[in-house]
Amino acid sequence: MMLAGRGRNKIRPPRRGLGTNDNVDFDSMWAELASSLQDIHNKNASQLSFEALYRNAYKLVLKKRGDVLYERVKEFEEEWLANEVQPQILEVLSPSLLLASTGGSTITTANEKRAAGEKLLRALKQAWEDHNLCMNMTTDVLMYMDRVYCKDFRKPSIFTASMGQFRDYVLRTPLQPGPDHQISIAQVLNAVILDQVRMDREGDIIDKSLLKSCVYMLEGLYETEQEEEHLKLYLTSFEPEFLRASEEFYRHEGSTLLLDADAGTFCKHAKKRVSEEEDRCRSTLSPLTLGKIKLVVETELIKNHLREVIALEGSGVKYMIDNDRTSELEMMYDLSARVDPKKEDLKKAIQARIVEQGNDVNNATVAATQAPPRPSAPNRDRADGEEKAPEKPVNLQTTAAINWVDAVLRLKDKYDIFFTQAFQSDQGLQTAFTRSFTDFINAFERSSEYLSLFFDENMKKGIKGKTENEVDELLDKGIILLRYIQDKDMFERYYKKHLSRRLLMKRAISMDAERQMISKMKMEVGNTFTQRIEAMFKDMTVSDDLTSQYKRHVAQLGDPDPKRAEMEINVLTSTMWPLDAMAPYSEGENRPRCIFPSQIERIKQGFEKFYLDKHSGRQLTWQANMGTADIRAYFPEMKGAKKTRELNVSTYAMVILLLFNDLLPGHSITCEEIQAQTNIPFNELTRNLQSLAVANKTRILVKEPMSKDVKLTDKFYFNEQFYSQFQRVKIGVITAGNKVEDSTERSETEKKNNDTRGGVIEAAVVRIMKQRKELTHQKLIAEVIQQLTARFLPDVNMVKKRIESLIEREYLERIEEKEPPAYRYLA
Amino acid sequence: MVLRKDQIEASLLEENKLIKDGKLKEDNPLDSSETFRKLCEACRRGDLKVCQEMITEGANINARDGFDYTPLILASLCGHFEVVQLLLESGALCERDTFQGERCLYNALNDRIRNLLLQYEYSKSADPLQPFASHINSLLARDHPQTSDILVTGAGETFHLHKFILSARSPYFSKKLSVAPETTSWKLPPAIPPQSFGIAIKYLYLGEIPNDVGGGPGTGFSEDDVLEGIDKLSRQLEIRNLWDGVLESGDRRLARQRRTDEVEKGRNQMEAWFTDNVLRHKVIIDTVKAEDVKWDRNNGIFADVLLRAVESEDAMESEQPSEGIERPRIRDTPGPLNGIPVGPISQVSRSPSRSRRPRKSALFPVHRAMLFRSEFFLTMFSSGFREAQNTEHLQIIPIDCSPDVLEVVLKFLYTEKTDCPLDLAIDVLFAADLLLIEKLKQKAAVVISTLGNKSMSQIPARLDVSEEVQPEQPELDIYDVVRAGWLTRVPRLEEFGARYFAYRLESYIDEEDFSDLVRESAARIKARQETDTIELLDDIRYYLSERFRLRFEDSGLEDMMEEEAEQAATAALESEHAAESKVPEDEGIDVSQVPNSEAMAGMGHSEYQLMNTTIRTLDGEIAGDELEADARNYQILLGKIDGLLDKLKLDA
Repeated sequence: MMLAGRGRNKIRPPRRGLGTNDNVDFDSMWAELASSLQDIHNKNASQLSFEALYRNAYKLVLKKRGDVLYERVKEFEEEWLANEVQPQILEVLSPSLLLASTGGSTITTANEKRAAGEKLLRALKQAWEDHNLCMNMTTDVLMYMDRVYCKDFRKPSIFTASMGQFRDYVLRTPLQPGPDHQISIAQVLNAVILDQVRMDREGDIIDKSLLKSCVYMLEGLYETEQEEEHLKLYLTSFEPEFLRASEEFYRHEGSTLLLDADAGTFCKHAKKRVSEEEDRCRSTLSPLTLGKIKLVVETELIKNHLREVIALEGSGVKYMIDNDRTSELEMMYDLSARVDPKKEDLKKAIQARIVEQGNDVNNATVAATQAPPRPSAPNRDRADGEEKAPEKPVNLQTTAAINWVDAVLRLKDKYDIFFTQAFQSDQGLQTAFTRSFTDFINAFERSSEYLSLFFDENMKKGIKGKTENEVDELLDKGIILLRYIQDKDMFERYYKKHLSRRLLMKRAISMDAERQMISKMKMEVGNTFTQRIEAMFKDMTVSDDLTSQYKRHVAQLGDPDPKRAEMEINVLTSTMWPLDAMAPYSEGENRPRCIFPSQIERIKQGFEKFYLDKHSGRQLTWQANMGTADIRAYFPEMKGAKKTRELNVSTYAMVILLLFNDLLPGHSITCEEIQAQTNIPFNELTRNLQSLAVANKTRILVKEPMSKDVKLTDKFYFNEQFYSQFQRVKIGVITAGNKVEDSTERSETEKKNNDTRGGVIEAAVVRIMKQRKELTHQKLIAEVIQQLTARFLPDVNMVKKRIESLIEREYLERIEEKEPPAYRYLA
Repeated sequence: MVLRKDQIEASLLEENKLIKDGKLKEDNPLDSSETFRKLCEACRRGDLKVCQEMITEGANINARDGFDYTPLILASLCGHFEVVQLLLESGALCERDTFQGERCLYNALNDRIRNLLLQYEYSKSADPLQPFASHINSLLARDHPQTSDILVTGAGETFHLHKFILSARSPYFSKKLSVAPETTSWKLPPAIPPQSFGIAIKYLYLGEIPNDVGGGPGTGFSEDDVLEGIDKLSRQLEIRNLWDGVLESGDRRLARQRRTDEVEKGRNQMEAWFTDNVLRHKVIIDTVKAEDVKWDRNNGIFADVLLRAVESEDAMESEQPSEGIERPRIRDTPGPLNGIPVGPISQVSRSPSRSRRPRKSALFPVHRAMLFRSEFFLTMFSSGFREAQNTEHLQIIPIDCSPDVLEVVLKFLYTEKTDCPLDLAIDVLFAADLLLIEKLKQKAAVVISTLGNKSMSQIPARLDVSEEVQPEQPELDIYDVVRAGWLTRVPRLEEFGARYFAYRLESYIDEEDFSDLVRESAARIKARQETDTIELLDDIRYYLSERFRLRFEDSGLEDMMEEEAEQAATAALESEHAAESKVPEDEGIDVSQVPNSEAMAGMGHSEYQLMNTTIRTLDGEIAGDELEADARNYQILLGKIDGLLDKLKLDA
């Protein structure tokens, strides 16, 4: 064997006794240790040998005397704390403090109380620091015991144990014996700290670091020796009292503040308090309390008063909004956000204000349109031309419309500023804003029309001389309003109507702007919405092509008739264009065909032939009411060298004027005759005659008798003395352009719109049912509404009626004895 | 994630190429030295003791033999759990995603070993010197307790440094400081940017050289300046490796390798310095005079504290000419020696009669900076006690252990090395426990575990009660080992003890000491209230079943047969002959598959016969064959344990 030869001479006895039955001279070693501990506590440790102390403790533990050692050390600490430390603390404890903490009335002055409190704090701080120092040294010496004995026997380390003793013998010892007055230093300490905090809140200067070190002590002590985080003395004994006191303080402060201060000050103060408390937690108390004390301030000071503050007369949210107090609103928002993530109160206040202001705008508009009684000027006069005098009452409505949109936009701007600057772009508030705007805009029944007019006005005039960016901005604003409008189909109807005028009368300033507008609408409302509008544009370009093609065609015919009138044609697809709106006669009564003069009639027929050759099977209907014509007229009596003028007139006016070509000078023709020869509808006729004979600057005809109204018996002469300084004269129709509808028109539009809606609803119902086959009534309604909200808000009754009608027409059937009622799709 | 085979092969190819180019050092170089051969052999056989010895002798445990086997692969392949553990603890690598590492895992005989291998991730075992290096590096940043003794200033920056480290690491400083050891400050040449010096210092303090040397706008020096400064410094301080290290960045593995080499080198420098200075200046003096030794603060080896260890009496005695006298075991000795280990001073006073000559103390001049790797010293020097104070002369701190032990401890602290002879192991264990050096405790425990330990599975059971000569003469008392394990909370030792007992139970079971030990074990449990069993006995039972179960299993049978044969042979023949027959085959891996007949071929037929005829059980009855004998022996031993329990009135 390899080891066999080595023999016993190598055996060394272990130097340490390994048995357990050895006798250790515990008492002498402990005596040595105890005296050293005494030295340590007396701050007299510099001459002690760490090695010797450690070795003593080590041996005792190794010899299984760890338990005795542990207990002895504990006893030692206990005695020390009870006999040395406690009396020192009691000494500085003045009776006034004791009284104060028992709730008894204090006769001492604040200053005395304060001095006494600080004295106590200082003494406690000193005691705590000493204790910590000693225990650190003791722990160092007893390191082996902590590592081995305490671990094996699951005892708290000696440091932890001694901390518990500090708690029990210094802080928790009752001051007065007896069951009634269980007052301990801890309670006095709490009272003192609270007192100091109160002074701090009231603006007095206190020794924060002193307070902090006492709080630090409370944080370093635990209820149990397991030292669980949530059982710190700070949390178990101090914090609840602190929170209670703070609650009371702020409750009181809140109600006094509400009485004395305005909303702005209140906000400022509350905000200051919150940040003060935050600072206090950081610098004086413990960061652990941060969340809780914030909650207290928020509840007591803000939450409980917020509603009242918001509603404060003369300084609340309403005041702030009206006076653009952005920074105050911001504070208000901040406070609301603290206590209520939904900010309900603030939201409600703002919403109310928006609706209020919106309604003001609405009412002002209504008032403006009604204030000057409208003259009976026929506003259905569809003759073309531009009003020369915007101040005319007929135009009042249009101006009101524009003003309305501007006012709404201004309102919107104002809230946008609040939104970004005061409300941190809060999503919830934005929805609230949107809802309020939607509410009041839709409460105003003419919003769709006005908005469309706004666009019309801008497209015709507003954007003149504006840069691309400005135009863009303007359109964007309009689009925002469009977003709020629920009945988008109404808007579409109006927009198309206005657009068609712009296109046909070449009123649009910039086609780019028009296209831009459409693409914006497309983004906002969707493809289907702009489809028809786009089709209108397409018609326009196709027509341009057609015109030039026709011109080439005419040239090829080899009929170089110099007198032949030039013609420009717009072929409009009848389904896409709001023809009915432009020609209100199309339904019901037969539209009287205008009789064109022969030279025009020839061209007309020529084109019809050309067109129908190209596209067989189509039908062309001539809309004379929409065209314009350029005429070169010769005025023999005119002053000046050149006696010809170019007149730009509507098609009807052209037809009328051509009649005078056949008339001898000085002869007249009556209105009745004109009507007979031209077959122009009477109202159109009067309007055109008015503009030709009544309007001052464009008096091509002379009327007899001279009056404003046109009667069938009136006679008309050609005004040979006509004079205009311009070579080109534009003769407008008295009322023209896009203007606000009156109530009859309006109800008509609505009616039409409802008809369209009916169709759309039916289509939606069929679409849904085709897919689902069977569906309950409720679900069907819900789905229809959901599908259509992008365009308009369908009326449930209307949907019901449509369903009925579909059942009648056997698209659907009711499922018998089914509860709840349901429908089946019939293929 | 495990790499696929082809991926491993690809990386292996790459690796080989790098190695061929000389760029990369081989992780597992071929080693044909005798030591390494022995190590491999021991790994095959599972001979823990030889393994430990060879490792201590310095065999590279990550080398490979002629068949591309590393010791770790051998040990895990042959299923020697303890050996694998030892190798891993000593720094053997088993890194996932390397060829050798995967091979090792793949070859592991059983899951227990495989799991053990997996447990030792690279990070744990790769760099056993890491704690050492990081301690030295941390000295740079640590200002409490204050240990620096030289102040280097330059361009507005100051460095608080340690003369002994500078001196150990840089030949330049070594020369400079040996001429003027009292120097307390050194001015940096103004041309050298402090950043350069910072990096040089980092290097000297075994820190990692940063990739970015610093400099650039705002620092007052360009990067080139800094580099130039490093170049100059590395020449001046004679640390050329620094410059090479800064220049070379390269891949991670190379960097790691370089770093490992660097730390290894640093350690060796520290060791050389430790041997040449600390140990050489060790003072042996009469204990009574020891307290009066005055060392000036300014000393040639920059020591800032003296540690004193007192020779134990028996050590002194053994040094006397009468060495070799067999002394009774200490635990049998009555008197104060058996008492509490008491401080050296009081010991002198309390047992003056036993001092035949003045007791000697050894004083080691050492450096606090290294000492406080031990928490004991860290606390001591950080505290407000006497030891932490600066005195005119060096403080003398007595340490309660013998000089030899203290030397082992110091060597560990200075060099991370544990050359601990087996006979000192228990003392080292206690010293490490006292000084709270957990790592040294573990290392001492490892050393102790090699006690009397060939492979456990190969220990011949002393089945023959009539045998007079004990086959082993343990250098340590196994009772002491177990108790030391208890006292110092090294469970490994208790387990080890249980195994040790189990394999030799028949010679211990009847001893009075054994029942004492069992009683103590029971008492421990009572105190802890954890379980209601006696841990020691449970362990013994477990290992006992392992011991006998092995024999009932096919694979183990032949081994046992062989051992039995050897046993019988020892009894009957010259031990020489037996030893010869015991030497296993060359291919130790396959030992368990060596056919029985081949093993038998080593001895004469007659002996085989003889062996067969003399099988007796422990109670002296003649058993029919070995299996039967084993079974009966097992029962007898279990019965004895029960008897012991009855006697002790313990319930388990």
